[in-house]
Amino acid sequence: MPKKIKSKKKNYITFQDLVFNLQKFWSKYGCIILQPYDVEVGAGTFHPATTLRSLGTKPWKAAYVQPSRRPTDGRYGKNPNRLQHYYQYQVIIKPSPKNIKQIYLKSLSAIGIKVKDHDVRFVEDDWESPTLGAAGLGWEVWCDGMEITQFTYFQKMTGIDCNPVSVELTYGLERICMFVQSKKNVFDIDWNSEGVKYKDVYLQSEKEFSAYNFDYANTDHLLKNFEIAETECKSLLEKKLSLPAYDQCLKASHIFNLLDSRGVISVAERTGYINRIRDLAKGSGSTWLENQEE
Amino acid sequence: MSELLIELYSEEIPPTLQISARLQLEKLFTKNLSDLNLKYKDLHVYSTPTRLTVFITNLPNKIRTQALEVKGPKEGVSDNIVKSFANSKNIPISQLYKKKLEKGFFYFAKIKAKVIDTEYELANSIPQLLREISWKKSMRWSDYDLNWGRPLRSIMAIFNKKILRFKFSHLETVNFTLLEEYGDIKQKKIKDLGEYKNFLINNRIILDHNQREKFISQKISSVCKSKFYKESIDKSLLTEVANLVDKPSVIVAKFDENYLKLPKEIIKSTLQSHQRYFTLIDQKDRMRNEFLIVTNNKDDKKLIKIGNERVVEARLSDARFFWEKDRSLNLIKQINKLKKVNFYENLGSIFDKTQRLRKMAYFISDQLNLNKEKVEIAASVSKSDLVSGLVGEFPELQGVMGKYFAISQGFEEEVSRAISDHYLPTNISSPVSKKPVSYALSIIDKLDTLVGFFLINQKPTSSKDPFALRRAAIGLLRTIIENNLVVKLSDLIEYSLKIYFDQGVKEINSQVQKELILFFRERMKNILKEKKIRTDIIEASVSSHLNDNFLELYQKTLIMNKFISKDLGKNAVSTYKRASNILEHEKSISRNGPDAVLFKYEEEKELFERINTIRKEFTLKDEKKNYENHLKLLSDTKLSTDKFFENVKVNDENKDIKNNRLELLQILCTTFNSFVDFSKLEGT
Repeated sequence: MPKKIKSKKKNYITFQDLVFNLQKFWSKYGCIILQPYDVEVGAGTFHPATTLRSLGTKPWKAAYVQPSRRPTDGRYGKNPNRLQHYYQYQVIIKPSPKNIKQIYLKSLSAIGIKVKDHDVRFVEDDWESPTLGAAGLGWEVWCDGMEITQFTYFQKMTGIDCNPVSVELTYGLERICMFVQSKKNVFDIDWNSEGVKYKDVYLQSEKEFSAYNFDYANTDHLLKNFEIAETECKSLLEKKLSLPAYDQCLKASHIFNLLDSRGVISVAERTGYINRIRDLAKGSGSTWLENQEE
Repeated sequence: MSELLIELYSEEIPPTLQISARLQLEKLFTKNLSDLNLKYKDLHVYSTPTRLTVFITNLPNKIRTQALEVKGPKEGVSDNIVKSFANSKNIPISQLYKKKLEKGFFYFAKIKAKVIDTEYELANSIPQLLREISWKKSMRWSDYDLNWGRPLRSIMAIFNKKILRFKFSHLETVNFTLLEEYGDIKQKKIKDLGEYKNFLINNRIILDHNQREKFISQKISSVCKSKFYKESIDKSLLTEVANLVDKPSVIVAKFDENYLKLPKEIIKSTLQSHQRYFTLIDQKDRMRNEFLIVTNNKDDKKLIKIGNERVVEARLSDARFFWEKDRSLNLIKQINKLKKVNFYENLGSIFDKTQRLRKMAYFISDQLNLNKEKVEIAASVSKSDLVSGLVGEFPELQGVMGKYFAISQGFEEEVSRAISDHYLPTNISSPVSKKPVSYALSIIDKLDTLVGFFLINQKPTSSKDPFALRRAAIGLLRTIIENNLVVKLSDLIEYSLKIYFDQGVKEINSQVQKELILFFRERMKNILKEKKIRTDIIEASVSSHLNDNFLELYQKTLIMNKFISKDLGKNAVSTYKRASNILEHEKSISRNGPDAVLFKYEEEKELFERINTIRKEFTLKDEKKNYENHLKLLSDTKLSTDKFFENVKVNDENKDIKNNRLELLQILCTTFNSFVDFSKLEGT
């Protein structure tokens, strides 16, 4: 072990430790540990391991890191709290276990938050994703006033009622890391114990992508790409290929987010686009479920 | 005597659901006990985020009911009624018997004396009772069928120191409560209420929500006192916070005093709405850079305080970033950006709306004799803050931020104020805009919205009002009334329609003018009801009000309500009733009015003259009509009318003379009804 940061504190948790520890914790609990999905998504929920696996009756336990892109949240690397690309740690369990709240609280101590010393609260937050045709009830978990996790019981996904119900835990990794490392700026996070910081990995990316998202993404191309993804998705659905179709739905959704951050979607058009994506998600969900049953 | 203790233990239930469940449980248990004929001493329902607890003291273990004879329906009613009477008493029809009473034969049922076993009845009825709780939002979890506010984990039920066994969905009752401790959950066997209370107290949990609220508010007060700050506690925040914790502590925290340069609404929104902290103000109402956090844990290591302070710093620094950036963005230049913000499908953008408002600003300034330029400028920049980053972050501060931007860019005070105040009133009882530029803008903004949505036929239905058009109409009317304004709404609607057409909006509904005035008339009833005015008076004045001057309607109604039980009102009503009673039995009276030539008596002439004077007075074009005086005129006809009835026989043998007198009475009634519809008033 290199000794650069070791002198700081014995139990100092780096950004990558955070991921390792969560992987270990949920693996021990019996989750399969998956890797991020390789299509751009806005949140861990869009990974088929959550969206599609929360449908139907088969039990499912999985956990994974998901890089998430939210073009409108970019701030050219200038805001200490905002990123257009960040990491979520996602846990999805079906059916939701009776003691999930306790298991979750234990996972916090695995990442350096001693619940005993803090004020951990479950604050009402009912979740809805119009693009996924999804809804759930649950909380944002606050630690000393800061939101660190979304805790949701899915009631509906791709327009289909969830039965049994899955529970979804979404940890905001950067926020939690800032919290445990006492950092005021996300770019100051210690990524590892060798002196590499978050800014060394992502600052340039934030600057360039903010410029792309807000100023330079070619909207004519994007509009065309949206149409292409939509058409492709529909034709794949006709051939009952739910997973490839769902990929196209995800692409359409990301393109929509980019168009939104370029500011070319009016409020009225917005609803139209969201409905179009939801139709794709619904088609993918119901086809996937049909194929599961075969 | 025994006590009943029920604890429904769940994951954290949000405050509003918790409060509603508490109230429902109290009602349901009260009803259940009365249905079972069970007497008791106290019934209490308490809650924490995870516990809903009911306890009832001094319940009998068994009760003996007396034999009883119950009277049923009258002989001759339909079989169904007899059957349901028998069913309700749990006996077959054949056991009913008839008895003769004053009003004929009636069915009777004899109910036998019996012994009720309380434990048995409770175990039987409680599951059904719990199912009757209705949640505004409910959920399922795992693979269970139950719908509940949040996952219900366990039901403890103790009666007479023993477990009260029943099943509710997938759960069976237990005799222990739960205690969560940092990721562990412990069971604690409970024998009775005393033990339960002690257990909670020993773990610092305050079960009684009222006591919790009091505890928090006392802590806050004492902090304020010690720092010589003003004691002003936001009541609704206090209730919310009291229902978010079960072992509250209050911590004083700080933020950098440089942030005090931000508008106080931003700080308040950040601290109170977003974080549920209590802001502090000094004796001069100035915001302090200290705030109070209600935590659910003791802060022995001071980590909680530091953590919360860090969150506030981050949020305020974000807000400051936007504030610095936005305040210098020229409001007039921002108007163009509103083209991208849609008002509503088929009604154009917010930019289009501001253009309409500009034109209407001119129009209404003429009507109300206001400074045109000021109202026009206010209308132009009224929505510019919607495209600012700050309002994007704090949507609840729309208007308020616009006001601050305007002030810092040197707009006049009246104009700046109108940007925030034209959104008023926010609800039926909150204040309305009081300054001329503000109320003018407030009226045209609301009217523009109403006309637009009526025009594309998106009117509210009996159950749905997604664009809050009722609220807009009530707000508009209140603004008119409370500022004593005579607004020619019909003209304003007509003009608004014209501007919409000029912008190319298609007319889907061609009855906007008529429907909107009717809509306002209906909303007027809401406002009057809110003022606790008698329903018959509201009906009488609203139904007879045919023009668009709602201030007149309002003032008349108030006068009517004020004097209805006094001589002024009583005399008017009795005079009207006396005349209308006679007309009631007469058919086809001509509407030509009486002919003075046919009058035979002084009394007839006098009454007719009086009526004519009143009619003249009523039609006078006077902006400041005195409605008390109008009512007085009507009331004063009593003398002439009484004399008329004493000395003149309406039913004259000469048909022409009789008809002439009926016509005289008729014109009297129409005159009364042109004030308010007296036929709708209940006799006094």
